[in-house]
Formats: sequence, C-alpha cells, structure tokens
Amino acid sequence: MSGYRKYFGKKILWFTITFVVAVLLNFILPRLMPGDPVAVITAKSAQGMSEASAVKEVYEHYAEEFGVNDPMFKQFITYFKNALKGDFGLSFSQYPRKVSDIISDAIWWTIALQLPAIIVGWLIGNTLGALAAYIRKGFDKAVMPVALFLSSLPPFGMAVLLLVLFAIKLDIAPTSGGYGYDMIPNFSWTFIKSVISHYQLPFWSIVIFATGGQAIGMRSMSIYELNADYVKYSRFLGIKDRTIVGYVFRNAMLPQITGLALSLGTMIGGALVAEIIFSYPGLGTTLLSGITMSDYPLLSATTLIITFMVLITTFAIDIIYGFIDPRVKAAQFDE
Amino acid sequence: MGKVMLEVKDLKTKYITRFKEDVYAVDGVTLQIEEGKSLGIAGESGCGKSTLALSLMGYYFAPLHYTSGDIIIDGRNVSTLDTDEVRREVLGKEIAYIPQAAMNALNPTQKIIRFIEDVIKVHKPEMTKPEVYEMAKERFHILGLPEKVLDQYAVELSGGMKQRTVIAISTILSPKVLIADEPSSALDVTSQKMVIKMLRDLMEKGYIKSMIFITHELPLLYNVTDDIMVMYAGQIVERGSAKDMVFDPIHPYSKGLMGSIIVPETGTREHELIAIPGTPPNLKKPPAGCRFAARCKYATPECKIYNMEMKEFGEGRSQRCRFSVEHLREVYANG
Amino acid sequence: MKHILSQVFHSGKFVVGFCIFMSILLLMIFYPIFNPGNPLQIVSIGTFAEPGIYVSVYDAVDSDMNTLKLDEAPAKRLDSVLKSEDRVKMVMWFDAAGIPVDNLSIHDTEALLTLWEENYDATIRPEGMTKADRNYFQRLDGNLKKVIVTHDKVLARQDPSSSELSVIRTIEDTDYVNIKKVANVKRLPLGTDNFGRDVLKELAAAIKTSIFIGLVAGSIATLIGLTFGLLSGFIGGLVDDFIMFITNIFTVIPAFVLLILISYSIGQDQRGPTTVAVVIGLTVWTWTARAVRSQVISLRNRDHVNLSKLSGHNLFLIIFTDILPYIASYVIMALILQISGAILAEAQLSLLGLGPKTTEVPTLGLMMNWSMLYTAHLNGYWWAYFPVILTIALISFSLNLMNTGLDQVFNPTLRD
Repeated sequence: MSGYRKYFGKKILWFTITFVVAVLLNFILPRLMPGDPVAVITAKSAQGMSEASAVKEVYEHYAEEFGVNDPMFKQFITYFKNALKGDFGLSFSQYPRKVSDIISDAIWWTIALQLPAIIVGWLIGNTLGALAAYIRKGFDKAVMPVALFLSSLPPFGMAVLLLVLFAIKLDIAPTSGGYGYDMIPNFSWTFIKSVISHYQLPFWSIVIFATGGQAIGMRSMSIYELNADYVKYSRFLGIKDRTIVGYVFRNAMLPQITGLALSLGTMIGGALVAEIIFSYPGLGTTLLSGITMSDYPLLSATTLIITFMVLITTFAIDIIYGFIDPRVKAAQFDE
Repeated sequence: MGKVMLEVKDLKTKYITRFKEDVYAVDGVTLQIEEGKSLGIAGESGCGKSTLALSLMGYYFAPLHYTSGDIIIDGRNVSTLDTDEVRREVLGKEIAYIPQAAMNALNPTQKIIRFIEDVIKVHKPEMTKPEVYEMAKERFHILGLPEKVLDQYAVELSGGMKQRTVIAISTILSPKVLIADEPSSALDVTSQKMVIKMLRDLMEKGYIKSMIFITHELPLLYNVTDDIMVMYAGQIVERGSAKDMVFDPIHPYSKGLMGSIIVPETGTREHELIAIPGTPPNLKKPPAGCRFAARCKYATPECKIYNMEMKEFGEGRSQRCRFSVEHLREVYANG
Repeated sequence: MKHILSQVFHSGKFVVGFCIFMSILLLMIFYPIFNPGNPLQIVSIGTFAEPGIYVSVYDAVDSDMNTLKLDEAPAKRLDSVLKSEDRVKMVMWFDAAGIPVDNLSIHDTEALLTLWEENYDATIRPEGMTKADRNYFQRLDGNLKKVIVTHDKVLARQDPSSSELSVIRTIEDTDYVNIKKVANVKRLPLGTDNFGRDVLKELAAAIKTSIFIGLVAGSIATLIGLTFGLLSGFIGGLVDDFIMFITNIFTVIPAFVLLILISYSIGQDQRGPTTVAVVIGLTVWTWTARAVRSQVISLRNRDHVNLSKLSGHNLFLIIFTDILPYIASYVIMALILQISGAILAEAQLSLLGLGPKTTEVPTLGLMMNWSMLYTAHLNGYWWAYFPVILTIALISFSLNLMNTGLDQVFNPTLRD
C-alpha cells in the first residue's frame, strides 16, 4: 500500500511543479516582448474603447496587475496568488465583466463537448485499430488508409466539411452556436433539444478526428503485441485464440491510455479550433475573441485554464493507469 | 529398449516470406526418443534448431508451414490431426514447450494463476478454480517455487524466477515430451544451474517422460542429455550418445563445433579454440551437394555435388559426411 | 543505401504517399511558371468569382464570328434561365392563381411554357403571395421572354459629343466566336477568393510557404529533440534526469498554448513565416526527444558501442559513428511527422488570427482563415476553402503514408 502512496505522492509533486511552471510561462512570455509591455498591451487593448474613464481604469488596473515597479519575483507571486484565487482581472473587450465570469460561462461548454467526444473517439478508434490488426487482410486494407486520411484531415477541416454537408447542403443541423440564437438558457425541453441539435456537429467532428489517430496507434500496438513472445507461448500451450486475443488487446489498449494522455494537448488544441468553426460558446471561441479583440487578460486566463485542464486530465489518467496496469505498478511502485 | 515417446519421420517444414519465397528451415529430420531419455540438439544460430523445436509441436502458423513428414507422440500420429484437435488435445498436454525468450513468455498484465487457469481450461475443462489452484500450489511446492508467485504478475518476477515459472507451467499437465529451446541461455550462472536441476528433477520424478533440449552451448548438453544430435542447415548431420559426440565427433561440422567450445573435462581442455569460418548457407536455395561443403576445410570438389544420407556406424551412431569414419578419424589425427 | 532505397520503393504505401506529395510539389513549382505574377494580386473586383474560364465580352464582340446552326442551342439557352426550382415555383404560381395543373409534369418544358404564356399575368395577385414572390415571378417571366423569342441583339457605339447611338453590328443567336480568337481569356480554375485573388495561384504560393514553414519548424524541432534525446539517453544520470524533467514538463503543457502565447507576444508586425516556423519548432520538439532517448537507451549497451567506449573514443565520435547511423531511419521518420505537424500547427494558429502577417505571402492557414472570416463555407463558395483543406489533408496524408511505408521497411514486426 505504501507503494501506491509513494506513486501518488510522486505524481502530485510532479503535477504541482508542472503547474507552477505553466503559470510561470503564462506570466513571463508576454513580458519578454520587446519594448514596454504594459504600454503596448494597454494601448492595444484600449483601442475602440470610447469611455475615457474605462480606458483609465483599465490602464490603472493593468499597471497594478503587472506591478511594473515591483521586482519580477514579487510580480510573479502576486500573479500566482491571483491565479489561484481565480482572479484574472477585468476583461478589456467585454468591460466591465470579470474574466473569471466569462471563462466560467465557457468552460462547461468545452468540457461537455470535448470530454465525451475524445472518450468516444478513443473507444471507436481503439476498436477499429484492434480489429484491423487482428483481421488484417481486407479489413485492414480498407480501415488503415481511411483512418490515416481521417487523422491527416485537420480538425478544423473536418468541422468545415461536416458543417457544409449537414448544416448547409442537407440542412439537418444548425450551423453555429451552442443553442438557438433566439433563446435564453433555461431548463425547458425546447432549450435542451436545441442544445442537443447544436451539439451534434462539433461533437462528431472531434470524434472523427480523434478516431483516426487512435485507430492507427492501436493497430500498430496490437500488431506489436500479436508478435509478442507470450502470444506464441500461449498458443503452444493450446490456449484458445479467443483468450489470447483478449490478452493482446488488453495489453495494447493499456498503453493507449498513456498515449491519450500524451496527445491530449494536441487533441484539445485541434478541438478548440474546431469549436471556433461552429462558433460554439466554449473556450475556443473565448480564445479567439481574446486574440482578435486584443483582450490580454482574457487570453492569458484562457490559456492558463486550458493548460490546467490538460494537466488535471493527464494527472487523472496517470493515476488511473497506475492502478490498472501491473507493468506500471512494477516499474513505479517498487522503486 | 524403452517405449518410444516421440518419433519423427522425415519432417519437412518451411517459412514463406512476405515476398512469397520459400525458406526450407527443417529439411527431412528423422529422430526418436524413448521414455525417460533426453536428446540434445546443437548447432550454430541460424542452422534451424529453433525452427525444428517449433516444427515438432505439430502446430504451425505463419510464416512457418508444414510440408511433409510424420510426428508420432506415444503412438499417435499428430501430423494427421487438424489444428483445433492439436491445440486442444496435444499442445501443453502431450507435448510442451519452453520458449527461448522466457523473459517475455508470460503475459505481463495477468496474474500467473489466471494464466494457469486458462491453460487448464482448455485441456481439463472439468476442473474448478480452487482445484486448479491446489494443483498449481502443489506442483510449485514440489519444484521449489514459492506459492506467492501464483498471485503475482510476470513483471514482478526476476528473470530466473520467470524462467522457472514458465517451466512449471509448461509441465503442469505432465506432458510426454518436453521441448526446451535454449531455456537457460539468457540467465546468470546460478539461475542456469537451477533451471537445469529443475529439468532433471522433472525427468526423475516422472513429470515429463522425455525431453528435447536445444542449445548452442555444448557443455550444457553433455551434462543434461543422454544423446546429442548436431544440426546444420535444416538437416541432422550427426547423432550419438552425449559422450561419443563430445569426445569423438565424426562429421567435420560436429568436429568444428566441438572444437569451437571448451568442454570442462580433463583431457579436452588443451584443445585449441577453433571457430568455424563462414556462416550457414541461405536456405532459400540450399546448396546441391553437402550443405557444409562450402565451409569445410576437408571438402573436395565432389562434396559439392553428392548429397549424402545419414549412415549408421557403431552403437546408435550415424553421420552424413561422404567420407568413411576411418578416413575422417585419420585426417583429424594428423591435424 | 541503394538497397534500402529499393526496399523503400517496394512498399506500396510509401510509393502512393510519395506520388501524392510529388504531385503537390509539381503544382507548387509549375503553376507559378505558367501563370507568373504576384499571387496576392487582386484580379477580380467583387468577391468569390466562381471557378471557370472568363472570356472578355468586350473583345468577344469584336472578334470574327462564325455561324453555327446547332439544334440544341435554344434548349440550352432555356435551361440556363429555367432551373428545376423555377419549374416548381411556376407550378406553385398556377396553384395559387387557381389554374388547373392536372397531368402537368415539371419536366415537360413545352407544356409548362405554353401554360405559362397563356395564363401569367403580372397584375394578378394570388392570395398569400408576398411582394418578394411576385417580384421573383416577374423576373422569371422577363428572363423567359428573353430566351423564348430570339431577337437579334444590336451592338451600338455612343458618340461622346451628341450622345447618339450608331449601330456597329447585329448579333444573331447563331453567331459564335472561337475562344482562341478572343484576345483576353482568363482561366480561373479555382475562381477567386474574398479579396478577388486567383485562388489556384494563391494556393500554389501558399503550399510553398507552408512547406517552408514545415521544413524549418520540423528541422528545428528534430534538431533540438535529437540533441536532447542523444544526450539524455547516452549520458544518463543527472543529465538524463534534468533533460527529462524539462521534456516532461513541456509534454504536459500543451505546445498549442505556448504557441498562442508566444505568437501573441511577438505581435502581428514581427510575425513573418520564418518567425512562425521557428516558434513552432521551439515548442514541439518534446516527443522527438522522448522517442530518440528510448532508442538510444536500447542501443547504449550494444556490443559495438561498448567496444567503442573501451577503445577510448570520445563522446561525439561514439554518437556519430555508433549511435546516429542506427537511429537515422527513426529520426527521418520523426522529422517527417514533425513537418506535417508544423504545417497543421501553422494552419491552426492562422485560424486563431495568430498566423504570419497577412501582407506578404499567403499560407494555407491564412487562406483558410480568410475564407472563414468571409464565411465562404456558409455561402457555398467551396473553391475558397475546400482546396485548402484538401491540400493540407493530402500533404499530411502523403507524409504519413510515406512514414508508414518506411516504418514497415525499418520495423519488420509491422510487416504483413
């Protein structure tokens, strides 16, 4: 049991360090800009703001937040403390809304969209990959190139194609948004129906994009496992093929879980851009508006939240994986 | 003369490469082993001895294919059975196998006892799980393996322990023939000794009725098996008792092979270490005459033309060289 | 080397991938040669001209004419104004106006037109028909009259002083101009984009920039990853711990996020294609480092490496002679993946508005971004976005395919 605790403790420590580094990068990268960062950012952000008092307030808020006169280290501590409290200041573009409010509106859309989509894509992809590896011949010849092509199709491309096909040509799904533009979020049946119909296209474009990559990974992993010594040995003990296939897929599937953790960042990046195509009210769209409106506090907070989400998910996968794969147990716990 | 446990008549098997070329890896092997006896098969790597081990099981999967010949285990011709029958009734039960790379022979994500259950389920479906556990526990106890191994995963075991576990699993149904393919080659000296001792124990206690031991380390064979066969390019080139083969090899290849090792026995230590120059021939196109002729320092041009069968000479001995035994002994004596 | 090449070209997957990639390169190289000029030059006033061959009407009317008697000409002329949805609408009009349409098939052009001519009256205001609908029917009627009754068209010149028209020429419905005789014919195989630029020309230039970005970013990422992987795997110990610490952190923090932060911080004016490529290269090296490290570790204790160590060779010599040649194929495969990853990364950055600055060269991502900003996808201007998506997909697909082929050659367990 102490092995588990040690493993868990190690992972927590690791998570904390990575989190601090992530916050540090979020803090420091914009400050590496040539010239006076505060002047540049505030000038950019204040563009288009008509109210003089608002500009002034933004200016002061920003100067305070950056604490330009404090030493770098102290600036970072302030930033870090605020980040932990979820205080990201006020948005420039949607002044005087709080950045944390904007993000907490968007984040659930993204989680509800991406988490199920990535899981479903992972499951379908692994099943197809495993079948391709096991059946080989015709099935493999058909599935492989298709999976390879699908995974080569950029996620936003998949989104655009689905949108044009289903929302415009066939007109069976809405083109954009998270729900009907004429609705106010509530728990009525019509609203839920609208949310579900708006959910389909973004969901499936992420699923398809996730499926291709996973199928290819699972296929080579399964082929590798099918050639493993234990497969040969089990056969020579007369064990049924069905049982052996069970071993192989379990063993091939487990590393795919870590594979998912490793590719999560890339996948979420792609999925966020797919969100933009559908103007889905999630973090992708928030990110885009942060960028196009030069709303620095919003952008910075969004990237930090995305990083945090990826970190948490990776951490969770690591922990679960440690419990279910004895190979990791043996390698990590007994150190 | 004891009861014949395994009889192989003119067995031929081949590999089919992905370019659809045939590689004649086992080319007409004939051998027999009586109850309580063990046979060693020696040869360089690439001479077909591991393929012979696989071919003797009567069960073939790509890229290895059966061509012709008979395998008779305790009076039953298994080469006429269909694949399912072989797997259900022969493998693991009548004939068992210990693979070359036992390090990876066990499924890493399965507890040892679950694997044993899978093996027993095929051959003795009537046994319940507690019965299987009792049986495994008893057998492990007899073989000096700790009971807790049953509840561990393969990854948690040391190399030597894994190999001994594999031996215990392979022999759990007391097979008539055990085929051990270099079972100790990857182990340290202590583990090697334990493995050899275990195999001897199994023979002495009657858990296995006969054994084929394949290795490139001749001193090991001298200590373990009753008879030795030397294999070259898919064929047997010489057979005899262990003692005769080590101290009086007749075929030039055996002679070279014996010369290239040092047997820890008085009188042989001062023999110089002679490695045989060259490598075994490509078995896609086996040479027409004697297959060793190209590397044989005693060969004449005729050797490359005439293909010889095994010739008997003396008590249970036979060899394939076209020269007479007397001629060869004389040549060797003159250096 | 020759042997490896012949093996590689025996792999069907590699060959297919290679051919696709080569066709894209050929398009990139040769289209600008046949169609020179600045790819960002605006050729059409107005946005999104449809793909096709554009014939100068001004020149055409002055060209020599031939008379061709073609039976199908009137029908074709009619079809060009009477689409199937127009036919359905016509039946709707009959219905609304209370005219019996029994046994009338919308494909029976003659019957439809006769009925229309007999009954249509712009002054009738059927119940429930909006003004927009009535206008539509008036327009349709006008169009139909134009093609059903063929009057000759008269070409006239206006005298600037007196504003009088003098007839130059009459054009009959059987007059044809050979397209070769027309001085100005412009082929726009993929039409024009939202700015009125030739899409295919732009695409050829964009492929060039995107591949350049892919190569630069891929090389940087591979170089960093290779160096870190080699040092980490070969030296081990503290160096390994340190490098892996950094690598793990940057594996978990999404490269995508770093890219956004850095690109944003650099600012629009500083972001040329090279800068963007360098930034991508600096953020995506981590998995190459991990992969190279594990390869090196598996090689580290091989006999030939140990022999080199015992012979007292220095670190760089061992790495260059005993390690690199063994992982070369692996590194090439990693490079190919990095290239296609970088092309995709640029596209995604551009969609977020963080791509290279827009004034100098097009990239695939920028083209995509423009067409999305001008909602080409919502308005059916497929030529503005579909070729771009297809090109990105094909570049990435062909590179992945080549990689799979290489993998099968170098990694025999994956063979069939």
